[in-house]
Amino acid sequence: MSEDRGEKRPRPRGKRPRRKVCDFCVNKIEYIDYKDVNRLRRSINERGKILPRRMTGNCAKHQRQLSEAIKRARAIALLPYTVD
Amino acid sequence: MNKYEVVYIIDPAVEEEARKELIAKFNTLIADNGGSVDKVEEWGKRRLAYAINYKTEGYYVLVNFQGEAELPRELERNLQISDSVIRYQVIKLLERKAGVKPRPVRVAPAAPEAEAAPAAEEAPVAEAVPAAEEAPAEETPAVE
Repeated sequence: MSEDRGEKRPRPRGKRPRRKVCDFCVNKIEYIDYKDVNRLRRSINERGKILPRRMTGNCAKHQRQLSEAIKRARAIALLPYTVD
Repeated sequence: MNKYEVVYIIDPAVEEEARKELIAKFNTLIADNGGSVDKVEEWGKRRLAYAINYKTEGYYVLVNFQGEAELPRELERNLQISDSVIRYQVIKLLERKAGVKPRPVRVAPAAPEAEAAPAAEEAPVAEAVPAAEEAPAEETPAVE
């Protein structure tokens, strides 16, 4: 049975992707504070770019809040706009 | 009355006394314009994430205040005039964000929580089994 289902929708190469869960939902964070630099740092890459949802698995609501918080932090020089 | 939060960066070259005066000036400005200062937090000298006007350090001050909608504009105007302030940002705090909304209190006692953890692990397995059974059952009539 399970073999039939596997053939029906073959996954294009590689193993099945792991279901990612929004980190902010798990930690029950209502408001992402732009002053919380240490937390925001985890959501940018080494070039200072905001990590996309497909990499972090954040939910839409928190990704929106997060990007707003990062942009605010950038404006007052808590986070860099670019790093190189 | 709305709640606001302002962060401003003072030039680190400004002497301590002049800096204190400056902070007091902005606080009285808020009070004079019908607002009230809730909290003043001086973060002190911090490294800037990027250079502003060739300065790599700044003295951060955070002020939480309340006031009418015109107040932030007046405050921003004054912050802009001051040469010692190298950057500022005023933000309106939403009630929800300000933590006004009371968190729902969980009444559950401690003992059931310990059981909840293994139950959560079992749950996906239990869900997966009926799903596998249902899917072929639906297919069969469709083929015929």
